Amino acid sequence: MTQQLAIIVLVDVGNALASRTLDDNVYLFDNMKLHGSEGEGTGDLVTVLNGSYWNDGSQGTELVLNWLPYSLGSIPPTVPRGYQVQRARQSDQQALRELAELGSAPAGTGAGSAAELSRIRRNVGTPVSSTLRAGGPAGRKVLDVTGQIVTDAGASVHSVPAPIITDIVGEAVDQKIMYPAEYGSPDLVTDGWYWSATVDSSRPGTYSYTMDIQIHDLVERDGAWVWQPVNLSCESRIKVTSGPKRNGFTKAGMGPLPVAPVTFPL
Amino acid sequence: MATKPRQPAPVPKRPVSITAVVDCVGALASRSMQGNLYLYDTNRAAGSTGLGTEELRTKVHRGDQLLWNVLALECEAYVGIAGIEIDPEFCEPERKVYPGTDVAYWTATVKKDSAEPVPYRISFLLGTRAEAVTTTLTPALIG
Amino acid sequence: MKPKVNIVVLVDVIGALSDDTLHNGNLSIVDDSALRSTGQGTTELCTVVSPGQVVGWSVLAVDLQTPVEIRSITFLDPEGRPAAAEPPAADGAPPAGESSAGEQLDLDDWTAVVPPWMTPGVPYRYRLELRMHEGPHSLFELDTPALLCGGPQN
Repeated sequence: MTQQLAIIVLVDVGNALASRTLDDNVYLFDNMKLHGSEGEGTGDLVTVLNGSYWNDGSQGTELVLNWLPYSLGSIPPTVPRGYQVQRARQSDQQALRELAELGSAPAGTGAGSAAELSRIRRNVGTPVSSTLRAGGPAGRKVLDVTGQIVTDAGASVHSVPAPIITDIVGEAVDQKIMYPAEYGSPDLVTDGWYWSATVDSSRPGTYSYTMDIQIHDLVERDGAWVWQPVNLSCESRIKVTSGPKRNGFTKAGMGPLPVAPVTFPL
Repeated sequence: MATKPRQPAPVPKRPVSITAVVDCVGALASRSMQGNLYLYDTNRAAGSTGLGTEELRTKVHRGDQLLWNVLALECEAYVGIAGIEIDPEFCEPERKVYPGTDVAYWTATVKKDSAEPVPYRISFLLGTRAEAVTTTLTPALIG
Repeated sequence: MKPKVNIVVLVDVIGALSDDTLHNGNLSIVDDSALRSTGQGTTELCTVVSPGQVVGWSVLAVDLQTPVEIRSITFLDPEGRPAAAEPPAADGAPPAGESSAGEQLDLDDWTAVVPPWMTPGVPYRYRLELRMHEGPHSLFELDTPALLCGGPQN
């Protein structure tokens, strides 16, 4: 089958940071329920991969797996990835406009200006430096779950960045059933990087694998706010099967097209 | 004389996010949400049950802000919430967009506590289909 | 003469399931025949083939992640009806050209040899049946593509 397989890793980042484990805080899905995957939506997914082989033994189906990590309770991935930088820029522009207005206000409004300045400073929001491996630009700010700029990072609730898969290891990789690698992509849904793997279906069976996942906690360090990475891991399994390819028309070997000789009217 | 212990900073109240994960192709092929919907919320620690099923029971209190959003299993498929039907005495969900985008979410504030679970229905817009599909099984809010 | 002609069926699965049709731009068929096929990229592709060539069909979802499989390919008689099917085998197995639901459609390889008894110059229409996921709205049919025998090549 030419369908690519997608595995979604939905992480409850808030609870995972609180309990420092992904057990019970991660929910896995794939698009193979029709083919028999079990445990959809739980932490215990078994992804079924139906392979096939030709009569000379060569692999008949290209099996490609893609992993998509998402954060539960944050701004959804359908919101464009440039969003954070855009919002940061918008709020900076707004602040500059307000400062300009303040600057051109008539002299003598001293007390008012001080209050205004402090309001503008608050509304500019909290810049946060990023240790995200994807290299967050300096222009990022903390947003809350509705996309509004957060004015006081310590007191408000913020949207967390999506979790990042840093490695895929385990039995399936060691036994050379699965060949995962990280790829770059212009697709903004995946933030430019995603993990993908091809699968060798010549050895059917169930194999486990582990995903190393990095999530981020907003902490204050030396007076500045930083996304601190926290590394956790979770396990899943693939179940590989393989069946013989057969001709669609005859269900056996290849034959002539099932076209009856037809006499067409002259 | 004992000094008064410093009050800890108040823990910020997180809005309770309810996320619907939808298998768009399954829902379109059967025109039903049953078997094609998985509901989650961020309040498991406070007592929500049924996470991952179509009968999520979200623990809420009066004054909580609720947020519903939706995720498609097929990352390039479109899915959106057309409406949420719930007793307006309990809360009145309204549609908002993330500022500067056309991606929508629904939000409501819980008006009162309730001893009984408050059931609700969500209807979804799938793909390019104009007719929405509504939940078969029932999620609820529990007080 | 090329030994094999490939016919690729491209489907927008979400579009087809939303609109309930393979038309409206939800399906496009192309082939790589060296002879002049007509209707490339539309639902009315007429692939020109020669006797002895192998013809193979494959299907692809445009977003790669949605499921779509060929369920059957059945040739139609001049009135547009499926050509008389062979009577079902005594054990109830489905007639040639069809897969029963529940069988693994992804194991099917839709290839066949162009027979010498096709009348040259006459389009032989076929019904393409696709399955997308499962459920009451998951089966789709198209009766418009065709094969045309260009006559023996010198």
